Amino acid sequence: MSSVSSPARHDLIVQFETEARAAAASVERVRSSASELAAAVKRIATGRIAVAEPLDLPADVFSELGRLPGVILGRSKQELASCDVGITDAFAGVARTGSVCITVDHDYAGPVSLLTRMHIAVLSAETIVERPADLFHPGCLGGKALQRNFVFVTGPSATADMGPLVRGVHGPHQLHIVILE
Amino acid sequence: MSSASTIIPSPRSVANKSQKSKLLDAIRMTLQIESAAVRRNTQGFNSGRYLATASIPDYDALKDKTRAIKEAALIHLPQLLKQTEESVTRNGGHFFLARSGNDASRYITRVCSEHQVRLVVKGKSMTSEEVHLNHHLEEAGIEVAETDLAEFILQIADEQPSHLIGPALHYSRERITALFKRKFRTDLPLDTGEELTRFAREKLRGKFLNADAGISGANFVTADGSIVLVESEGNIRLTSQLPPLHIAIAGVEKVLPNRESLAPFLELLAPSATGQGLASYTSVLTPPMNAAPLLSDRDVKREFHLVLVDNGRLQMREDPILHEALYCIRCSACLNSCANFQTVGGHAFGGETYSGGIGGAWEAGTSDLLNARFSELCTGCSRCVNQCPVRIDIPWLNSNLRERINERDAVAGKGFLQRVFTSQTETRAPLTKIFFGRYDLFGKWGARLAPLSNWINHLPVTRALLERFAGLDRRRELPPFANETLAHAAKTKSPRSRTPQRGRVALFPDIFTNYGSPQRGLAAIEVFKSVGIDVVLTEVSADGRASLSQGLIRTAREQARRTSEVLLKHIRDDREIVVIEPSALAMFRLDYRHFLEPSVFDEIRAHSFEVVEYLWRVLEERQLSAEDFFPASRHPLGQKVFYHSHCQQKTIGAAASTEALLRTAGFDVATSRVECCGMAGSFGYKKDFYELSMAVGEDLFEQVLAAETDGIPRTLVATGISCQEQLHAGLKRSVFHPMELLAAVVQDAAS
Repeated sequence: MSSVSSPARHDLIVQFETEARAAAASVERVRSSASELAAAVKRIATGRIAVAEPLDLPADVFSELGRLPGVILGRSKQELASCDVGITDAFAGVARTGSVCITVDHDYAGPVSLLTRMHIAVLSAETIVERPADLFHPGCLGGKALQRNFVFVTGPSATADMGPLVRGVHGPHQLHIVILE
Repeated sequence: MSSASTIIPSPRSVANKSQKSKLLDAIRMTLQIESAAVRRNTQGFNSGRYLATASIPDYDALKDKTRAIKEAALIHLPQLLKQTEESVTRNGGHFFLARSGNDASRYITRVCSEHQVRLVVKGKSMTSEEVHLNHHLEEAGIEVAETDLAEFILQIADEQPSHLIGPALHYSRERITALFKRKFRTDLPLDTGEELTRFAREKLRGKFLNADAGISGANFVTADGSIVLVESEGNIRLTSQLPPLHIAIAGVEKVLPNRESLAPFLELLAPSATGQGLASYTSVLTPPMNAAPLLSDRDVKREFHLVLVDNGRLQMREDPILHEALYCIRCSACLNSCANFQTVGGHAFGGETYSGGIGGAWEAGTSDLLNARFSELCTGCSRCVNQCPVRIDIPWLNSNLRERINERDAVAGKGFLQRVFTSQTETRAPLTKIFFGRYDLFGKWGARLAPLSNWINHLPVTRALLERFAGLDRRRELPPFANETLAHAAKTKSPRSRTPQRGRVALFPDIFTNYGSPQRGLAAIEVFKSVGIDVVLTEVSADGRASLSQGLIRTAREQARRTSEVLLKHIRDDREIVVIEPSALAMFRLDYRHFLEPSVFDEIRAHSFEVVEYLWRVLEERQLSAEDFFPASRHPLGQKVFYHSHCQQKTIGAAASTEALLRTAGFDVATSRVECCGMAGSFGYKKDFYELSMAVGEDLFEQVLAAETDGIPRTLVATGISCQEQLHAGLKRSVFHPMELLAAVVQDAAS
């Protein structure tokens, strides 16, 4: 990916946060370290927690998450479906839409990000691009969006089929995004 | 009257509208039961789309990209299908090209049976509706659980979808509550969206966890072996990834060359559909995803089948008209921006599977031409044209469908009058189409014989006959034929302007103004004169709008050719063409591309203006003050006006100048926010559609009243002649053309 100057990077992050919130996600910025991430998760996550092994973030950033209270190791449908929180990494963020890109076929990231009531997506500030189309350039983030099985996640699952807009349908009721700086 | 017409039919019983009576029953049903919910939901999508697309800086460039990619993909479709097969197979999946709907359903049922599937979870798929997949699976003893909440409602209620992306948006929250209470016999509180959603989620969670197979559609398929699944609820992610067996079914036209080509589509789809930047979940997958662990205690492997359905599409590809429909990415912008659709939804404006303006071509292409009869509800208002992310000219599609249906109906209708008119006009179409399509002939003779023709027209017996044979509703006031046509009156009124000469125009006396409402034209001449614009009239020539709207396309083409000669003569004499009736101007600027050589079309388009649009241009270019020429304070009816612009006028970008000029002149302008008044040319005059037309008009009438809450009535101003009639019918007040408003000030200033 072409290098983005730091003021432009800052604007992208701010735009990303604004749009993610507009899509009903919550967002926070955290210094990129295992202890800071664990502290951030601890502040917001309660109950049973499932953590999928990260694919794009350095594994040691997730290293303290396993020791949090409530973390489960079982991976059956029933166990994951009864989880309160699922944590995955994201390989990209999209500023214009407030979306995060989750690889769904690595470890249990697919069901962990889908069957739980709250999905926490962890993303590096460096991987925020401006618009969805950027990701489909071969040079962008190593062409991950051209190769991976992934999903753009934009806010929690939602429906308007039952009359008014309701958040929390078959997927998570809440999406929390942690941006690592 | 038989009692049948008073019983409200079920949506299923009127899904197939090959018989006209079913269409009329469906309109009655939807107006009584579904209209309020459809209106709220589609108008919500519609305003969301306007906001979202306005925030895309390269919106038009993206549309050019999607259009070009689709065009190339359709040209190379056979090769792309082959490539897709190779890619899917290479990735370890299975590929099946289904020639017919039955082939698709049989294949999927067989795959499920071979895997001893007992329970299938399904994501929303219009293609699976088209091929009646659920029926086939259930016949084989396989339970099908629709997991999209809208499809869940429809499955319980046994109804067909009423919208491409919100298939149950005709259900209000209250009706869903009543349905669930009745079908599930539950005492749980189900009085909010949250309670209903939780109830359905819990019912479906068990299905997801126990399903043996998941069947989804696909928004896009790429020839490099990927599929795209767009959704907001998460049910499609579960459907495609939780069970070991995933089957995706989609039409062959969904194939794009590769993942790179997805970019502009993804950026336009959600904004055009729901007004979001992206939907909650947009999955880009290359199944089977063997690396993804299966949450199963059994030792099974993931398996993926891609079923691409032809079922008429490859024939559509060869059809010069239906071909256009294959560009469709099913965003539903054309449904949501359509005033008729907003009022009745897809249970009236739709068939067994597909709905809205684009739906007719799909029903015609995948089932039968006569199943597209609901496309009669496309008035050609054109509001969808600029909304389509792949630039499909939907009104043009529907005019052509109408021509084809006309021919079938004319063969079926053998009455004496039918034979006379068919032979006289060399047009194979039902009488009512000929009557409304050839206003040029009726107007000419009506005006020649006025006032006698008007006297005859007002006789109850005439109205009864017109209703019986021409389908003209007797509740509509007939605009009288002019005693003196505009062409004649203008000659006697010496339209030479004062100096200085600030412009040279040729006013096109469209047939509606010329025979029915010459005062609009005389007002325009008066106004132009007062500003120093030199005006001549062109010859009277039918522009083709009336015939095009009735599907009399050969007539329209001939009229366009003749009119273009009239216009070019004046353009080459260094005059701009100015037009009073926006529907005629929209022919010159939009529809003539289908009839004329590109260079001729471009020349006419570049030199044609709506009368006020031209006036505003002159004032702006010469930095003249509208207030000096047309001081609103001197208008005898006051400065407060309500302005309603015409649907086609908005589409061709000729509406904003009227609002700007009136404001600059000092008028206090409230404007309508509706897509169309509901009259839409001749549509609202037809007996079959009178109630629908008036129901569409309700929004407009309410907006007028809402602008007058201070108790001071506003002068009603509308540019289109049929909009004027509709406002008059709904509010029983006089309605003026903007030029009449300005002329009144000019006259006042002169006196």
